[in-house]
Amino acid sequence: MQEEFQSKSKPISIANANKLKVSTSLGGSPPEEFHKSTMGARATDSARIMKFTKVLSGTVVILDKLRELAWSGVPDNMRPKVWRLLLGYAPPNSDRREGVLRRKRLEYLDCISQYYDIPDTERSDDEVNMLHQIGIDCPRTVPDVPFFQQQQVQKSLERILYAWAIRHPASGYVQGINDLVTPFLVVFLSEHFEGDIDNWSMSDLSSDIISNIEADCYWCLSKLLDGMQDHYTFAQPGIQRLVFKLKELVRRIDEPVSRHIEDQGLEFLQFAFRWFNCLLIREIPFHLITRLWDTYLAEGDALPDFLVYIFASFLLTWSDKLQKLHFQELVMFLQHLPTENWTHRELEMVLSRAFMWHTMFNNSPSHLAS
Amino acid sequence: MGAYRADEDYDYLFKVVLIGDSGVGKSNLLSRFTKNEFSLESKSTIGVEFATRSIRVDDKVLKAQIWDTAGQERYRAITSAYYRGAVGALLVYDVTRHVTFENVERWLKELRDHTDANIVVMLVGNKADLRHLRAVSTEETTNFAEREKTFFMETSALESLNVESAFTEVLTQIYHVVSKKALEIGDDPAALPKGQTINVGSRDDASAVKKDGCCSA
Repeated sequence: MQEEFQSKSKPISIANANKLKVSTSLGGSPPEEFHKSTMGARATDSARIMKFTKVLSGTVVILDKLRELAWSGVPDNMRPKVWRLLLGYAPPNSDRREGVLRRKRLEYLDCISQYYDIPDTERSDDEVNMLHQIGIDCPRTVPDVPFFQQQQVQKSLERILYAWAIRHPASGYVQGINDLVTPFLVVFLSEHFEGDIDNWSMSDLSSDIISNIEADCYWCLSKLLDGMQDHYTFAQPGIQRLVFKLKELVRRIDEPVSRHIEDQGLEFLQFAFRWFNCLLIREIPFHLITRLWDTYLAEGDALPDFLVYIFASFLLTWSDKLQKLHFQELVMFLQHLPTENWTHRELEMVLSRAFMWHTMFNNSPSHLAS
Repeated sequence: MGAYRADEDYDYLFKVVLIGDSGVGKSNLLSRFTKNEFSLESKSTIGVEFATRSIRVDDKVLKAQIWDTAGQERYRAITSAYYRGAVGALLVYDVTRHVTFENVERWLKELRDHTDANIVVMLVGNKADLRHLRAVSTEETTNFAEREKTFFMETSALESLNVESAFTEVLTQIYHVVSKKALEIGDDPAALPKGQTINVGSRDDASAVKKDGCCSA
């Protein structure tokens, strides 16, 4: 099975995407709609929109159903609501939803006035350092998207990050977590802006709205990172563990690449560390990130392990290319991957393959045993 | 492929690390030196990043393999693994933020705990273009550098001031250490065949100085 699979998957290209997808039927049941051959367009498909509408309109949203749907992409206008539900921030019960959100948003506001809106003299040295570090990183967050250069955006980022860091003393703020707020920020802002992000201006929003958006970002970031706390604690053991798993998985899937990487003395940590630390935000164009995160959030608690499959799939997009490079070229190539022209198509390919490998390998634990 | 081969044509390969507090300009010093680029909006470095450049000293081609590290404390456990085998280090601080200079001592200790005693260290006071904001005097660092026996230079990655000199000086000094060591063991460094290139690639932890047996790998 593995042999056959390897020979099939060798020339990884968009062309054989459908062939790969067909083979998903070999194991497990794929998410609903998985066999639909459309890519990217899937989220705007009217039948799909109807399914989302139906699931979301229930008195109690069935989260498993929502997960299945969301895995393959959420329509833009439904994304804010879907993400809040998937992360367990908004309760599935619609009667309770408004009340819970109101309470959580007030709680955030309290946190800001208690911890952020105070003079430095009332902060510990560690807190001053942390705020300083956040202050250094906010202006260099997704600098290639001009929207993030707006002062008010950076201030919002700073408050969200500081509140999160204060409430998570085991890790505190770690560089790269600033990147992780950005998908939430653009998604929750999208409820208040029309059109392209380049035309958004924070000064058009009232301070109440901004505060609510920040609160949503704060809580969603907290929910997302709850399952990945040890990714950001001392020595970042969570990331080290996943990098190790990635290396093992790649060896199972693509032995020649794996051997080449080893022969060249390249450590997976040298390129994959940032992938796990920033959840691929640094590696693909920003306009694709929210689609990627639909899948992340649909995975829920299983996300950390599924990241290994996504990243293996991402890496092996360049399987042939990698085998032609020597150590230094490998490091530089992997740290500056040519994804700037990527569209949904390439991303869907990465995700489909990750799903397929997960289905195959996860059901056969021996495939992963050393 | 042709360009690649040409790139591989070197006499010595030296591993150099760039360390120092967050936001002092390490990544911009590296991009200025390797690509002659500077970006006001560069992203923070996560873990380590990597670039290379070769320079000519005497009649030798010295290739620098430079590892740029994240400045935040939390990354220390990850980045210090990259110190192994380094034969040179640029320890960067920001002349406009005194605290980044105060931390130099900690960085130096960190470096000396993880590398060979013969490592060539240069203190680099970056952002020297911001004259009106200067918070660390040249004299202060000069004294410190003398005491700690390190080299010292002030740079501006923005204005491309002294960046070339700082890296070149470090590489030249490493080259001298290596040549001297080679002479001491009665070997003519000029006659070192290509096969004896000091390889500090990631697998080979033998550094230029270690190679001569001053400490075990």
